[in-house]
Amino acid sequence: MSALARNNVVEHGPRDAPPMLFAHGFGCDQNMWCHVWPAFAADHRVVLFDQVGSGGSDAAAFDRGRYATLDGYARDVLEICAELELADVIFVGHSVSAMIGALAAAAEPERFARLVLVGPSPRYIDDDGYVGGFRHEDIEALLDSMDSNYLGWSRQMAPVIMGNEDRPELGAELTNSFCRADPEIARHFARVTFLSDNRADLDRVPTRSLVLQCSDDPIAPDAVGEYVVRHLPDATLVHLEATGHCPNLSAPEETVAAIKAFLAR
Amino acid sequence: MTEDDGLPGAEAEELFEDAPCGYLATRLDGTIVRVNRTFEALTGFKRDDLVGTRRFQQLLAPGARIYHETHYAPLLRMQRSVREIALELVRADGSRLPALVNAIVHDETIRTIVFAAADRRSYEQELVAERRREREVAQRLQASLLAGELPEGPAFEIGVAYRPGVRTLDVGGDWYDAFALGDRGTIALVVGDVVGRGVDAAAAMGQVRSALRALASVGDGPGPVLEALDRYAARHRVGRIATVIYAELRPAERELRFACAGHPPPLVFGPEGEAAFAWEGRSLPLDAISRTGGRTDSRLTLPEGGGVVLYSDGVIERRSRPLFEGLDALAAFVATRPQERAAALASAIATALHAPEEGDDACVLVARLRRRPGAADRD
Repeated sequence: MSALARNNVVEHGPRDAPPMLFAHGFGCDQNMWCHVWPAFAADHRVVLFDQVGSGGSDAAAFDRGRYATLDGYARDVLEICAELELADVIFVGHSVSAMIGALAAAAEPERFARLVLVGPSPRYIDDDGYVGGFRHEDIEALLDSMDSNYLGWSRQMAPVIMGNEDRPELGAELTNSFCRADPEIARHFARVTFLSDNRADLDRVPTRSLVLQCSDDPIAPDAVGEYVVRHLPDATLVHLEATGHCPNLSAPEETVAAIKAFLAR
Repeated sequence: MTEDDGLPGAEAEELFEDAPCGYLATRLDGTIVRVNRTFEALTGFKRDDLVGTRRFQQLLAPGARIYHETHYAPLLRMQRSVREIALELVRADGSRLPALVNAIVHDETIRTIVFAAADRRSYEQELVAERRREREVAQRLQASLLAGELPEGPAFEIGVAYRPGVRTLDVGGDWYDAFALGDRGTIALVVGDVVGRGVDAAAAMGQVRSALRALASVGDGPGPVLEALDRYAARHRVGRIATVIYAELRPAERELRFACAGHPPPLVFGPEGEAAFAWEGRSLPLDAISRTGGRTDSRLTLPEGGGVVLYSDGVIERRSRPLFEGLDALAAFVATRPQERAAALASAIATALHAPEEGDDACVLVARLRRRPGAADRD
């Protein structure tokens, strides 16, 4: 199957401009970038996509084996790049997709020019001498929380939602549609995300990287951002005033400015 | 609240403060700017502990806090409202408050209402736990039924594979079976599929499977065995509707007798990659309610060093393509690896051709003849 259909790839901006690939994290879909990508579309080939199981991706492409670790998602990124013949890619990844981008860059360094990692975490669960911010029980509690929140996805609803291509125009009747996901796949993605440990992969990422660290980010606390910058061979850390885990939504101007400053360097 | 609302200020104030739900107003970053009395009562916090000092998300239990960051807050930013979100708050005394939450963004403020939902939540959890338990029982039941040892012999080998579908939570009614019949060296081979899912389907599958084992040992060939199974299923009302292929293999003679009750046809293959479906010996599915009866069977000779593949429909069915394409794909796949050992071939077929996300389980049984020394010279 084409990676472009599988991952619901959407493009903006001039085809011959430097490519900029935006990857959303666990939770919602490519709409996470709706306030950010327009700032780059004039002079970049903007490529957006949905992780398999999220948004408008093809849920039938989901395979437990392939997506048992983040490497499967990194493979998707590389397949999108290959199919669009992207070179010198500027990869912008939020949350877990920051690590997915780092894994892709470690696997095919020649493909990537820069990495922008928004709220990255190589491991969410505390470990001997490492502070990830969470305990195992917290992740189980998250899974329970997901079980109680189908977010507009019931078996009856699924076909209606899946058939609708024009998501931004969806009305109130499809509430919570931005975070719609097949519940089984979302649960799996949550597990793979929050139980991942990619600390050992960081030093295999030669690409010049920017780490954007929010204030009071409960998912990726300051100590984690600092850990990432310490272990990536070529990374700079920028602290954002924005609070929470999604500066792309809560402070898009600040996020855009930080990325632009990094790209200008 | 003003006189414009048509209510005197004091009355409006009381409606707000003692509303039958907790109410809080926060800034966009979650910082609490106002709460009502009901919220204080629900959480045990005094407004002075909250206003200006705490963020809404800081009142959440850890799991709910992740959910807030990854789903709730992004949704609120994008669609400017959320509703019916289940979150768990932590009260001042550390106890948990399961709640249902609606929120809207109004200018630079988020207005949130909080309903206590402890009873609803525990009922929900009971349902979820019940469902998981049932699934586990069905899985254990199914696993125990599929666990038996496969017959072995110098002239043949048997391999099996079973892959569950991923989209539905319940186990299906697919099964395979292989066992020796009497002492004449005949081996019975079975793949079947009881319609339905869950504990009922697994239990019905177990009954049909055991019945077939018992009937096969006294039967007089595949057709009569399936007729006896018809009578059994009707008498005991089990298996409602099932498809099954039942075959008897006599390895020394390379003879395969088989009867196919509404089941996809067996695939016969030779050592050089020749592969063809055997469309004979067919009759309607087993039906415990309306007797179908009249079972035919057929007989063929397997190629020297060849074998037969029995499988359930999960191997060949995809919603996106006609059935014959699935059959072609199976034949083509087997043709590329005619020398593969039975177990490896069965597992390769299940892995390559089964689409677990379509929901169906896939069951594969491969029986193949071992080439006798010198046999190739005689061909």
